[in-house]
Amino acid sequence: MRLNLVLELLDVPGQLIDALNPIGRLGANIVAVIHQRDVKTERGTVPVQITIEGDKETLNQVLNVIEEAGIQIIQVDGILRKEKITTILVGNIVDNDVKDTVELLNNIEGVMVADLDLKMSDHPEKSASRIVIEAEQGRKKEVMAKIKEIGNLKGFMVINEV
Amino acid sequence: MKIVLIGFGSVGQGVAQVFQMKKGLVKEEYGLDLKLVAALDRSGAAINPEGLDIDLLLKTKNETGKVANYPEYGEAGLSGHEVLDEVEYECIIEVTPTNIEDGEPAQSHMLKAIKNGKHVVTSNKGPLALSFNELAKAAMENKVQFKYEASVGGAMPIINFAHETLSGCKIESIYGILNGTTNYILSRMAKEGSSYEQTLNEAQEMGIAETDPTQDVEGEDAACKVVILANSILKMDVTYADVEVRGISQITPESIALAKKEGYLIKLIGEVSKDNLEVSPRLVKEGSPFAVEGTLNVATLKTDLADEVTVVGKGAGSVETASAILSDIISIWKSR
Repeated sequence: MRLNLVLELLDVPGQLIDALNPIGRLGANIVAVIHQRDVKTERGTVPVQITIEGDKETLNQVLNVIEEAGIQIIQVDGILRKEKITTILVGNIVDNDVKDTVELLNNIEGVMVADLDLKMSDHPEKSASRIVIEAEQGRKKEVMAKIKEIGNLKGFMVINEV
Repeated sequence: MKIVLIGFGSVGQGVAQVFQMKKGLVKEEYGLDLKLVAALDRSGAAINPEGLDIDLLLKTKNETGKVANYPEYGEAGLSGHEVLDEVEYECIIEVTPTNIEDGEPAQSHMLKAIKNGKHVVTSNKGPLALSFNELAKAAMENKVQFKYEASVGGAMPIINFAHETLSGCKIESIYGILNGTTNYILSRMAKEGSSYEQTLNEAQEMGIAETDPTQDVEGEDAACKVVILANSILKMDVTYADVEVRGISQITPESIALAKKEGYLIKLIGEVSKDNLEVSPRLVKEGSPFAVEGTLNVATLKTDLADEVTVVGKGAGSVETASAILSDIISIWKSR
């Protein structure tokens, strides 16, 4: 089968070779590579489109090896890959309107609330909610800062990941 | 080396114990003769230019609570400044309680010693969190050593580790659990499902939390350590006011349970990076290096060459903290 990948490379020498090496080594074939150093993402990185061919297992291995090498895979077959971000908000879920908080988060571009779990307490102001967010690759830090901002605005204590 | 010990609480007594335990070894391996010429607590001082009898000193403190009662050489009412003027010494060990309002009296003690050309070894976070660069600069100008390994992480190696072992690396950030009391409380809450108040009480009964636990539970102690790490290792110029601080008093058993459902623990994490200085409760993945229990401390240093390096160790305890002080003394001796 064939797989279309978009990799995110740092603009330093050797990155492309590091990304392509494992493909041949693992027994997959490179069908096409589109690499334009002049085209950059907002993060200053260079997106490279690669089409590779092989059996399902080999292609999965290729993806793993590329990621282990620290190279971001931002798209696989036209589907944007996502980062999962978990956060816990402590406070009065009803009064501080956790529903509105979820909406504010969904309104951030490229961010989607995937899961919401609530645990009420005897003291309503000490209830907790767990929100799992999916965001575009590479935006974790930015989204976590936004979560903190929104959480604080709504009067929740925000417990973000490290 | 003639040493003045300022502060004879649990850390000070730990230092004395460690000196007694390691006197022989240190003499044999390094040719270092540890001579405690003066020891002070709030009651006064005991001074003997030939060196105090450590067993007798510890016994006096244990039985009477006052160093000033040391037979023959004890004197009530003497202050640190008076002792530093009167005694001939080469190095002070400053281990009085941390005062984060103005760092006194430790700050004056340290500056006095430095300006008189004496080395300073300390575990006292107050002056370091408030005027780190002033002290470091004074030490450099007066060509003396200023060492404070014991001020962060107790026996967990971090300051000297970063300066010496990782000397070729650029350290980009440090994340860590820097306070044993809060880590103990959060670990217990996770294990027992108990409330914060109940767990705090337990910790106080066990002596793990102080009667006034504010410095620990509100993250102030960890914030001081963040400042020290930022100045010392990341070469920033910051003070306590630059840290965003939030403690664990608002953590609930419900939030811990919710976190656990997704495979996370809640820990009080200190973050040291160029664009963020923060102490706050955070989610850490079970099985990550930050998932340590009890009173342990842990720190992960992100470096350019060595990638991530993690250290774990006992962050508190009188003898444990004193081990870091001894290590600094030996280091000063070696580099003379």
